[in-house]
Amino acid sequence: MSVPRGAVHAKWIVGKVIGTKMQKTAKVRVTRLVLDPYLLKFFNKRKTYFAHDPLQQCVVGDIVLLKALPERRSKHVKHELAEIVFKVGNVIDPITGKPCAGTRFLENLSDSENLTEADTTYLSEKLQELKVCSTEG
Amino acid sequence: MPMKGRFPIRRTLQYLSQGDVVFKRSVKVMTVNYNTAGELSEGARKFVFFNVPQIQYKNPWVQIMLFRNMTPSPFLRFYLDNGEQVLVDVEDKTNKEITEHIKKILGKSKETLEKEERERKKLSHPATFGPKKYHLRECMCEIEGQVPCPAFVPLPKEMRGKYKAATKNEA
Repeated sequence: MSVPRGAVHAKWIVGKVIGTKMQKTAKVRVTRLVLDPYLLKFFNKRKTYFAHDPLQQCVVGDIVLLKALPERRSKHVKHELAEIVFKVGNVIDPITGKPCAGTRFLENLSDSENLTEADTTYLSEKLQELKVCSTEG
Repeated sequence: MPMKGRFPIRRTLQYLSQGDVVFKRSVKVMTVNYNTAGELSEGARKFVFFNVPQIQYKNPWVQIMLFRNMTPSPFLRFYLDNGEQVLVDVEDKTNKEITEHIKKILGKSKETLEKEERERKKLSHPATFGPKKYHLRECMCEIEGQVPCPAFVPLPKEMRGKYKAATKNEA
């Protein structure tokens, strides 16, 4: 009776982090597609897993890859964080390697290029006012 | 009364069992990232709409996750048992090309599937009869060449217990 890894059936799972209020533990929601027997359509069925996250680097909303631990760490924690697949707000497109948001790349955007002459003069005036205020106050 | 939905044929068991992508044992998770708009994601969208149900039906223990509008380029990602990750770029591919590609790289070959089918057939003997779950026929009366069921065809007089008891009493 050798169970080399996993006191649990799911060896590798991908889920979304829904809670990080516990110390060094992340609550992860995993969805699987389950066939409804009458409609014959697949629906998402969700299940929550607790994963050990020693560096507490997960934020709510991250997509993470969990790996099953060889034996249970505690009553509920049977997985550990293997890799953060997509960090919330900082998604990197794996094909090009560039940061992106939605369907746009973030690299190309930069404020200074799109400013017109009027904008730059307005902004510099505002800066002057601020400087004057700071010396007075 | 026709079926409800856009392509309700997707919701038939015959369509689902026609999927020919059976993943190898090492594939644990499949992730599909695609966009809901744009020409490049068109193949990926069709793949998710038509082929993902077939794949999930044939591979009930593989976790499939769909992500929409997270990255500009559509791709598939597979997570294998040994920690390996396989990234498949599906930009500008039709859904048929995508299924062919993943069948080639991560699917069980036709010979393996046929061999497994033969192994499964070996376990069950077709000549036996019993509960419908394990055998083809439930009662001996259903087998060709045996006495038919008396519910449909009355037994000849000599086989009936009533007649046998009467003749025994006489003798």
